[in-house]
Amino acid sequence: MKINQEVKKMVITLDNRESDQSGQVEAKKLLRRMIISGIASLILLLVIIFTLPETVLGVKSLLEYTTIVALVIFLFVLLFRYFAILVLAYLYINEYTYSAPESGYHPFVSIIVPVYNEEKVVADSVKSLLDLDYNNYEIIVVNDGSADHTKEVAESLVGYQKGKYSDIKVSLINKPNGGKARALNAGIRLSKAEIVLCMDGDSQLSPDSVKLAVRHFVNREIGAVAGNVKVLNRRKFFTDLQALEYIEGLNMARSAQSFVKLVNIIPGPIGLFRKKALEEAGFYSSDTFAEDADLTLKILANGWKIYYEPNSISYTEAPAKLQQLLKQRYRWTRGILQSIKKHKKLLANPSINFGDTFILWTMFFEALIWPFMNIAANLFFIIAALAFGFSSLIFFWWAGLGLLDLVTALYCVAVEKEEFRLVSYSLIYRMFFILIIDICKAMATVEEFLGIRMTWGKLERVGAKA
Amino acid sequence: MELIPILSTIILVATISTFILAVGAYILYKVRERKGSQAAAQQPAEVKAELITPASAPSQQAQPANQRQPIFIQQKAGQPQQRFTPVPQAFAGFTNQARQYQGTDYSQQRGYESRGLTEEERKNIDSRFMKYTSEGYVPAKDDKAGGALKWR
Repeated sequence: MKINQEVKKMVITLDNRESDQSGQVEAKKLLRRMIISGIASLILLLVIIFTLPETVLGVKSLLEYTTIVALVIFLFVLLFRYFAILVLAYLYINEYTYSAPESGYHPFVSIIVPVYNEEKVVADSVKSLLDLDYNNYEIIVVNDGSADHTKEVAESLVGYQKGKYSDIKVSLINKPNGGKARALNAGIRLSKAEIVLCMDGDSQLSPDSVKLAVRHFVNREIGAVAGNVKVLNRRKFFTDLQALEYIEGLNMARSAQSFVKLVNIIPGPIGLFRKKALEEAGFYSSDTFAEDADLTLKILANGWKIYYEPNSISYTEAPAKLQQLLKQRYRWTRGILQSIKKHKKLLANPSINFGDTFILWTMFFEALIWPFMNIAANLFFIIAALAFGFSSLIFFWWAGLGLLDLVTALYCVAVEKEEFRLVSYSLIYRMFFILIIDICKAMATVEEFLGIRMTWGKLERVGAKA
Repeated sequence: MELIPILSTIILVATISTFILAVGAYILYKVRERKGSQAAAQQPAEVKAELITPASAPSQQAQPANQRQPIFIQQKAGQPQQRFTPVPQAFAGFTNQARQYQGTDYSQQRGYESRGLTEEERKNIDSRFMKYTSEGYVPAKDDKAGGALKWR
């Protein structure tokens, strides 16, 4: 890379407005909801207490039967969810393998790289972009008011840098801090391209990522393409578990959704958008903490289809410490719930857009219902073992789920041609990692319901190499 | 068959420990976050930003035969060209002039329009007697500043 080339600087005015701004839940509305929920629960409890003597059940047997029924429902939902995702993902991979579109469509692409305090990783990110196997693109770095030396590092990268086929223009926007959404919007508005690629400042794209993703835009129905996110900084306990989670939990689910072209979240590290779809959706919004989920839902609501390209890979740095991991998952959960709340009209009204309603309900289930069910099931087995002495139940429970996770991990690792050693983590994946994440999700859901204020914070980066 | 009870105990202890670890880590995270939290600032409708772009485009380079030529998308009438083309600059330094960001900045290449000649005019007039100036083709006798350098 040639650094410190001659540049020209100009002051521009950015439109900082956003198309939709949902206000914060008012305290009064929240209190009213809590009171109504409390009264409804009390009424239900009183009905049970007063009608119970009329039945053959005692309190103890009622609890037993309720628990058994809940467990059976949980098992049924678990198996149905797993097999539905596996089957759809398999059908998607089949379809992808035998009918992927031909290459030959090379529109001009603008790659937007928002950075905030990324002095350690921004140069590596831009370098990975210069190695792309694509010949018609530019790079726009947006420095969102960094407090460290990100601005100086990014300025040294501005110029015409040598790409694989030609010189690639690298530009920089230095703007006051306004959040990732506004930074992306600034880059998108500057771009003249038909296709825009939005990524994270610490991500590194694989060389084929753009070439393989843009070919799907030949289909005029496609508004966006989601890429495949993989963990870069492995060989640590929590990052290896997250690597498995990304492969098994996130990418497999995305494959299943892609079969019906309704991917519900385009990941922040790599997402390609048709600029027209972005304009119709009103670009990114800052009123949720998962702007990628919010934008995806807006694009789907406008009738666009979203596809997933498994070979369009972005390597990202995952949090290596438990505190950082909880911070990230807390933000994801609250952001997704905020996005669902913004689009709650569609939850009860499938006639507007059935596909969008279906996706919203699956997101609602994954973010809200599933974590609580998982925690409840674990608590049941702990209580059954400690209070009633049924300790072997927990072994059979773990054995069954462990086997399911092992088979799923084997399948996913084989399909994605990933490291085989990650399969060994599947035995503790559910019992340890998923339980921690689900507890974090449950707490985040309660806080979101109570309307407790949250801030962005910043994940600590160490600068991993691909 | 003592294995199942032993494994059950291990799994039970691990699950309880995970619960305690998760709840404790979450509480610790909330305590740390509360210490460093601050309210998000109100964002103005417009903000000034600095746009830094390369000063000059590289010269055209010969491409090897095995490299593909870039394929441009079809342009609609009236739309600016979507690939960057260099803006001719008289100087290579930076400018600090404040200006509104406009979508057509990168595609403006001229500061004037030449009058030019129609096809019929070209056929009828012997161009040897016309001189091309910044005002377009003018008869040689009307070229008052003939031969003098002009700043563009």
